[in-house]
Amino acid sequence: MKGFTALRIALRHLRSRAFQTFSVVSITAFSAGLAVALFLLAQGLRLGLIRAAEPFDLIVGAKGSPYQLVLNTVFLQDVPVGNIPWENCAALSDDARVGFAAPLGFGDSYRGYPVVGTTPDILNVRVRASDPPWLRIGEGRWCFGESEFEAVLGARAAAETGLRVGDVFQSSHGVVQSSHGLAAGGGYGHKHEEKYRVVGIAETVHGPYDRAIFVPLGVLWKIHDPHHAHEDEEDGHAHEHGEAEEAHDREVTAILVHPKSYTDAYSLAVSFQRSADKQLVFPAQTVVRLFSLMGRGEAFLSAVVWAVGGCALLTVLLVLYWSGAARGRERALLHVLGVPRRTLVFISWLEGTAALLAGTLLGELAGRAGAGAVFALLSRTTAVTPAVPLTWQECLAPAVFLCAGSLGSLAAAWNGSRTHMERLG
Amino acid sequence: MGQSPREAPLLEIRSLRHEYRQPDGSRLRVLRLDSLRAFRGEALAVAGPSGSGKTTLLHILAALVQPSEGEVLFDGRSLRASHPSSARWRALSVGYVFQDVNLLPDFSVLENLLIAGEISGVPRAAAQERALSLLRRLGLEGRRHNRPAKLSLGERQRAAVARAVLHAPPLVLADEPTASLDAENARAVTDLLLELCGESRSLLIAATHDEAVKKRFPRLVELNKLAELNKEGRIVP
Ligand SMILES: Nc1ncnc2c1ncn2[C@@H]1O[C@H](COP(=O)(O)OP(=O)(O)O)[C@@H](O)[C@H]1O
Ligand SMILES: [Mg+2]
Repeated sequence: MKGFTALRIALRHLRSRAFQTFSVVSITAFSAGLAVALFLLAQGLRLGLIRAAEPFDLIVGAKGSPYQLVLNTVFLQDVPVGNIPWENCAALSDDARVGFAAPLGFGDSYRGYPVVGTTPDILNVRVRASDPPWLRIGEGRWCFGESEFEAVLGARAAAETGLRVGDVFQSSHGVVQSSHGLAAGGGYGHKHEEKYRVVGIAETVHGPYDRAIFVPLGVLWKIHDPHHAHEDEEDGHAHEHGEAEEAHDREVTAILVHPKSYTDAYSLAVSFQRSADKQLVFPAQTVVRLFSLMGRGEAFLSAVVWAVGGCALLTVLLVLYWSGAARGRERALLHVLGVPRRTLVFISWLEGTAALLAGTLLGELAGRAGAGAVFALLSRTTAVTPAVPLTWQECLAPAVFLCAGSLGSLAAAWNGSRTHMERLG
Repeated sequence: MGQSPREAPLLEIRSLRHEYRQPDGSRLRVLRLDSLRAFRGEALAVAGPSGSGKTTLLHILAALVQPSEGEVLFDGRSLRASHPSSARWRALSVGYVFQDVNLLPDFSVLENLLIAGEISGVPRAAAQERALSLLRRLGLEGRRHNRPAKLSLGERQRAAVARAVLHAPPLVLADEPTASLDAENARAVTDLLLELCGESRSLLIAATHDEAVKKRFPRLVELNKLAELNKEGRIVP
C-alpha cells in the first residue's frame, strides 16, 4: 500500500468523525492560541514600553513615586506629579554635565489629549545620536513663539480630534480620561477661556507623544497665573500680588535631561540623591523595574497557560485514544486485507497529528490576531505601539503541544494495534 | 476436483495443533488437524459446531495466528504468522470474507474494493475495471457510491465477496459468510463464492455450520470440539 492511501484513509476518518476532529482542532487551537497571544502580549508590551522610554535619558521631577513620574512624563498617563520651580531647569541647562534640558509642563488637556507645555529645547531630543530629531514637524511650523496661544498637535491627536492647521480649540484644566480612553475632559475642571490656534502637526513618533498637544511653556504659565485667571472680576486686586508670587508660578512638571556622558548621568543622579524635594530617574531602568514587578504576575500567568495546555493535551489524547479504540474493528479488517501493523499505527498517528497540526496552526493565527486586537486597543488609548516580532519563542508552546500530542497519538495508535488482533473473526 | 497427480498442493497441513493459554494458566485445546492437502481451484467446507476451532483454523491459514504445533505449507513454503512479511503475503495471496462487518464504514462500496486493490498492488485502472464488472455481475452497480451502512446484509456480503476475489488471489478464506443471511441470500452468496473462485482458480476454504451450505461444497473437513486441559495437562471433565 502506498503512503498516499494511508493519508487518504486518515483524512477520511477525520472527515467522517467530524465532531471529534472539530473538538481536537478547537481545543488545540484554543490552548495554543492562548499561549501565543499571552506570549506576544507580554513581549510586545515590553518592547513597546522600552521603545517609548528611549527618547528620555533622564527625568527630573518632584520627589515622589518614580513610577508615577515616568508614567506621567513618558507615557502621558496618570495624574501629573507635583511641580518644581522653573529655576531648576535653568540651572540644569547651565550645568556642565548637561547637553540640554527640556522642561515639560502638564496639567491641561483637550478632549483627553494632554497639553504639553515645553520649549524649543525639546527639539534637540534624539533617540540615538545618529538619528534624526525625535520630534519633527510634518505640517505647518513649530509653535514656540513664547507667549502666543499656538499649538502643534501630535500625529494621533491631530488625526483623532480632526483639528487642522489654522483651527482653534480651548483646553481644559485637568487630564481625565474615560474608561475607554476617549476624552471626557470637558466635564472635568474648567475650560480655559483662551483659544489655541493650531500652527503645525508633528510627524508620528510611534509612541505616547503622538497623543500630545505641544504648546509654549510660557503660555501655560500665563493661563495658570492667578492674576490672569481672575482679571475680569477682581481687576484691582490682582495687581497687589508681588513679584515673588509671579516667580512661584513659573513651574514645570518634569525636566527631560540629556547628559553629556554616562559618567555625567551618574554624577547628576548622585547630586539629586541629596535633594529633599526633587528626584532624578532613569526612565529605562524604571520601566525595567516595573517589568520585574510585573514579572511575578507574568510567571503566574504562564503557569496557568501551561496548565491549560496540559489539560487540553490530556483531553485531546483521550479523544484520540477513544476514537482510535473505536476503530479496532476497522484496523483488524485492514490488517486481514494485508496492511502491516506499522502502517496501521502510521494511519492512526497521522490522523491525530493532522488534527493537532491544523489546531496549532489555527491557534498560532488566532493568537496573533488576538494579540493584534489587544495591541490595537492599547495603542488607541495609550499610543504605545507594541512591536509584534515573529520569533521562534512564540511558536514554542504550540510546538511543544504538537510534539507531545503527536507522541501521545503514536502511543495510542501503538496500543490500539496491539489489541486489534483479538477483534478478528 | 481439478488437481492432476503431478500438481503440487497449494496448501498442506501437517499435524496441526492449537491451544489458547487461559488467564488461570490452563490451556484450551481448540484445534487438531493431522493432515490436509488442498489444490488450486478446489472448494472446501470446514464444518463443526460452534467453538470447534473453525475461525482459529482460518486465522492460522491466513498467517494471522501462529499454531502451537505443526506446520502449514503454502506453495511449499512454511507460513510464519506475525512475521513482517506475512501482511504482504496476505495482501497478495489471500481473500477473506467475514460473517459480517467486512467493509470499511467510511468508504463507499466501490472505494472499499479499490482500497483492497491498492493494498494488493493491483494497478488502479485494472482494479477499477474489475471492480465495476464484479459489481455489475453482483447487481450492485447502482449502489457503488453508497456507504456499507446503506446496504442490506445480503448486498454487503456480496460486496465482500467481490472485494475478496478482486485480485484473484490463490486462496480465498470465508468465515461463516452466510451465517447472518436468510436462506435465499445464503444460497446466492455461496453460489457467488463458488463461481468466482472457480473462475480465478482460487482455493476456497469456507467455515460453516449450515447444512445447506455444507452440501454445496465438493470437499468437507469436519472439526470436533476438543477438551480443555488443566494446568497439569489433564482433561477437565
Ligand atoms: N484469542 C483467544 N483466546 C482464548 N480462547 C480463544 C481465543 N479465540 C478463540 N478462543 C476459544 O477457542 C475456541 C474455538 O474458537 P473458534 O476458533 O472461534 O471456534 P468456531 O469459529 O468454530 O466457533 C472457543 O472455545 C473460543 O472461546
Ligand atoms: Mg467462528
